[in-house]
Amino acid sequence: MIVDWTVDLNSGLWCPASSFRSQLDPTLDLNNTEVLLEADPFLNELTKLYERNKTSGSVWVTMKRSTLKHQKKRKTIEESPAVEPEYRCLVRATDGKKTISCTLSAKDHQRFQTSYATVLKAHMDALKKREKKDKKSASTKAPGS
Amino acid sequence: MVYVDSWDTFVERSISLFRADPVATRYVMKYRHCDGKLVLKVTDNRECLKFKTDQAQDMRKMEKLNNLFFTMMARGPDAVVPEELPKEQAAPPPSKKGRGRRQ
Repeated sequence: MIVDWTVDLNSGLWCPASSFRSQLDPTLDLNNTEVLLEADPFLNELTKLYERNKTSGSVWVTMKRSTLKHQKKRKTIEESPAVEPEYRCLVRATDGKKTISCTLSAKDHQRFQTSYATVLKAHMDALKKREKKDKKSASTKAPGS
Repeated sequence: MVYVDSWDTFVERSISLFRADPVATRYVMKYRHCDGKLVLKVTDNRECLKFKTDQAQDMRKMEKLNNLFFTMMARGPDAVVPEELPKEQAAPPPSKKGRGRRQ
């Protein structure tokens, strides 16, 4: 494995370039970068997130509408109402350490939402099931009484 | 924290919050498998609504809410959530009594 080596500014010693980069720019947090994926890889990574955090940890999933344009550009877009901005649904998932994200258009979202629901149902099974008989039970149907 | 007790109230208020400001409103879901807890949050950075649960029955309700939000966020705040298509289309009308008239 080839690792880039450079000189550390503080100590004058050789060190891997990745740590050098973070020393150069302390705001560049290499561990907390967000990964933008397509819908299917996003769902695969989401599955892994849930599996990794079974014994401990939380998984956050955020959904938000966005035009994905910068603030300045957004203002110019608002000033010209002739062009309607294209909205996308932004979905982010994180376990506190790793973050993944994905954008959906109006066409993608229906297919995504079915797959997404499948992932959720498969992994979020630690919730308590109702012990009393209820009309619609997710598990075995109670025999007619 | 602004926890709402009733699911229906939570849904109603979140939808009106979203419709009032679609770009600023976000829907967050936090799941802890080890504790078996699920917390939903809807906020527009001014007002915050939360719903927590540990019941499996709320999963289905949450799925419906997910679908609602997906549709509204992708298509627009006025979009109507289409009925679930796959199941309905898969089941043909049960009118096959007797032999069909195949010519």
